Amino acid sequence: MFADRRIGLALAAPALLFVGLAFLLPVGILLTEGLRTPAGWTLSRFTTFFTDPLALEVTFRTLRLGFGVTIMSAIIGYAVALAVIETGPGNRARMTALFILPLMISPVARTYAWIVLLGRTGLINKAVVGLGLSDEPLRLLFTETAVFIGLLQLFLPLMVLSLTSALENMPADVLPAARVLGAGWLTIFFRVILPLTREGLIVGGTLVFTGAVTAYITPAVLGGAKVLMLETLLYQRVSVANDIATASVIAAILIAMSIATHSLIRRITTRRRA
Amino acid sequence: MSDPEYLALRNITIAYGKTVAVNDVSISVPQGELLALLGPSGCGKTTLMRAIAGLLPLTTGSIALNKRDITRVPANKREVGLVFQSYALFPHLSVFENVAFGLRLRKISGDQLQQRVDGAIAMVGLQGFERRLPKELSGGQQQRVALARSVVVRPSLLLLDEPLSNLDARLRLEMRSELHRLHRDLGVTMIYVTHDQTEALALADRIVVMRDGCVAQSGTPEDLYERPTSGFVARFMGFENILSVTPEGLAGEPGRLDAATSSVRDARALAWRPQNVVLGQGPFSGRVVGASYQGETTEYLIDSAAGMLKAQSPVVSQRFAPGDAINFDLPFDRAVKLAES
Amino acid sequence: MMRMLGFAALGLALIFLLGPFLIIAGAGFSSGDLLVFPPQGFSLRWYGAVFEIERFRESFVLSMQLAVGSTVLALLLGVPAAYAMARYQVPGGEWIRTIVTAPVIVPAIIAGLALLRYTVIPLGLPVMAALVLGHTALVAPYAVRVVTVSLTHLRPDVEEAAVLLGATRTGAFFKVVLPNIRNGMMAAFILGFITSFNQVPVSLFLTGPGVTTLPIDMLAAMEFVYDPSIAALSTLLALMSVSIVLIAERVLGLSRYV
Ligand SMILES: Nc1ncnc2c1ncn2[C@@H]1O[C@H](COP(=O)(O)OP(=O)(O)O)[C@@H](O)[C@H]1O
Ligand SMILES: [Mg+2]
Repeated sequence: MFADRRIGLALAAPALLFVGLAFLLPVGILLTEGLRTPAGWTLSRFTTFFTDPLALEVTFRTLRLGFGVTIMSAIIGYAVALAVIETGPGNRARMTALFILPLMISPVARTYAWIVLLGRTGLINKAVVGLGLSDEPLRLLFTETAVFIGLLQLFLPLMVLSLTSALENMPADVLPAARVLGAGWLTIFFRVILPLTREGLIVGGTLVFTGAVTAYITPAVLGGAKVLMLETLLYQRVSVANDIATASVIAAILIAMSIATHSLIRRITTRRRA
Repeated sequence: MSDPEYLALRNITIAYGKTVAVNDVSISVPQGELLALLGPSGCGKTTLMRAIAGLLPLTTGSIALNKRDITRVPANKREVGLVFQSYALFPHLSVFENVAFGLRLRKISGDQLQQRVDGAIAMVGLQGFERRLPKELSGGQQQRVALARSVVVRPSLLLLDEPLSNLDARLRLEMRSELHRLHRDLGVTMIYVTHDQTEALALADRIVVMRDGCVAQSGTPEDLYERPTSGFVARFMGFENILSVTPEGLAGEPGRLDAATSSVRDARALAWRPQNVVLGQGPFSGRVVGASYQGETTEYLIDSAAGMLKAQSPVVSQRFAPGDAINFDLPFDRAVKLAES
Repeated sequence: MMRMLGFAALGLALIFLLGPFLIIAGAGFSSGDLLVFPPQGFSLRWYGAVFEIERFRESFVLSMQLAVGSTVLALLLGVPAAYAMARYQVPGGEWIRTIVTAPVIVPAIIAGLALLRYTVIPLGLPVMAALVLGHTALVAPYAVRVVTVSLTHLRPDVEEAAVLLGATRTGAFFKVVLPNIRNGMMAAFILGFITSFNQVPVSLFLTGPGVTTLPIDMLAAMEFVYDPSIAALSTLLALMSVSIVLIAERVLGLSRYV
């Protein structure tokens, strides 16, 4: 009954045409803008971009924050996920829900909370001054640290969820067996847990990494003009200078990073199915 | 007078891309007959059923039902019922609504609907289960719902694709006799697909054996059981010892085919059931390589010049042990003649 | 010992993830004019005030309309596509899946900019149409993915059984398939709605003067509003999302589809 491929194609066609025409086509044109000058095709925009000190600084900061947040969330994520697993099956579902919740809340609201906490008259500065640790409030907002904290809060749940499900899929008696054999916890982690949850770590890691390097709200609110990341730089270049060529170069960099990480996930998940 | 060509499948070939699943099959089914389609897994039975139901287009050939060419009639207009191996019940509908589904599409409602659904449910013995959802039923009960759902619309032809294969052995026997009763009571023409020859022999008026997409042999259960014409069908029917016939005589045992047995010389092969091999005497000799006790009988594996043979003899008779040299006989009057080995 | 450390990490992580909300929720209860924590005094003044602020009211309504509209549109496009890929051997099936789910891979801000320059401006589209285009494309992959999960739980021969009982293909879809993927579609709707409602980057370039979404409006307001109104609004929005998700989890088991 489902042999007629034409019916299948007809059903998929509207979505295909919509995404193709309203999404991929314009994005494709934008990508060519960086390669095109009135004189012809060129890679000069890329060489200019990568020799501009500010652009380089922003690119490196974006990568630094991306990797930093990923590594930190992996460390915290393992500790948390192992604890979640220990709480037993019933509580596990409830705990999982607790980590899904923040993902559903507006990132604007989630980021805004840090202004209240990290601002000049925020809770942390009040504590610092109140305890006499410093005479005047510290500058916490509009620093790379603030952006780091904001990104970590935004994306940590993705790592926790992915590691929790990886740990759940681990054979049930592996950990007790290792303990019976007298393995220390460091040995257990590096010899048993890490190899068995590698895929979950990679999936979680790529989700966190792509999320962090393509974030807009967090660097915009907590970093401002001082701590630019690639997306905020793109926005600034377009809105201030209408510089589409640079925007196109940044778009190419971001899309390349995104495709690379997503195809890594896809390779891993299809290999697991095979 | 029932129509001997009520369902006529003419030269049907069905291919999935390059794989030919059904190859030039022609079958006629008289009205009211229960035909069993028997064959090993992968021989094209499901493919043929789906094509008759209209779920799969024919590559070549035609189908006529009750003198009407239905080759191009869409599945929902054919009035052909199909009971799927997986039952395919509607998971969101109760037993009652599953059975009522086809009637509602035929705009039947009110008392008439209630009556016919109740009747069908009673027929398969599921009174009291009307409000249950399919997932709240056992496999055998789901099977009954699937059956009731198909027959309640009074199809011109009912196809059953290995309907009992997901049930356990006891339930299978029970459902088999219920199907028999159902066929007798309703008089509907049925094609029953199975890979189990005992099922086919017990149920069918006539059996068609399929092999690799082709019809290997067809006939009454007695025909097939007593007179298989090929090694393939013979093996299916329990003739496990098949010896080919060469101009010199029986393969491996030349000279054993003398003038007295010239009647079998025109066969390409001869086949014996294990219980027809006579042990302890006779012109053939071999060595026992295996013996397995089966209660009433013992089954022996005998290595001989004619190949590996299987014999069965009552436990009360003479016993042999692996390693024994043994004489045996293959009586020609108990052999079937095969046109191909 | 390690157990204790583990539970400590779990507790700290939850405080880190959820604590800030308690703080802005608290700051919103202030009776003073400045955004501080702990709040000065206690009142519901700012929670009430949020509803009085005209621009927030307008952008809230627009965000609602946008989220509902684009999610419905995404489902109308995504359900047939998911169905086609789950049931038919569509030529180039993997390519189709890749294309339809591509919006997940392209950073949204880039999509917004591209849409503005090469579709909205050349075609002279109004702001709302532009937003609907962008949001629908972003939500469509979720619709396809969630509905695909639902469809894999329904055997194709169930539809064939319906057709053999006399239903047309379309009839079989509406009578048999749709009732069985209803939960998946609701889950897709909720996920899509929340994705669209919270979405910022794609809207950034597409919103225009006077026509803006609530999150964009809040971002803009943060630059000059120092009173607790944004804190109160953020808290209300968080509560809205949380209640939708909790109800959906109860009713549909939402987390199966995420
Ligand atoms: N959808 C399909 N696509 C390609 N080949 C198929 C398909 N369905 C069945 N086949 C092939 O056709 C042959 C017959 O299959 P089938 O009719 O299911 O056999 P049976 O029901 O007798 O076990 C098999 O070789 C099988 O692999
Ligand atoms: Mg089959």
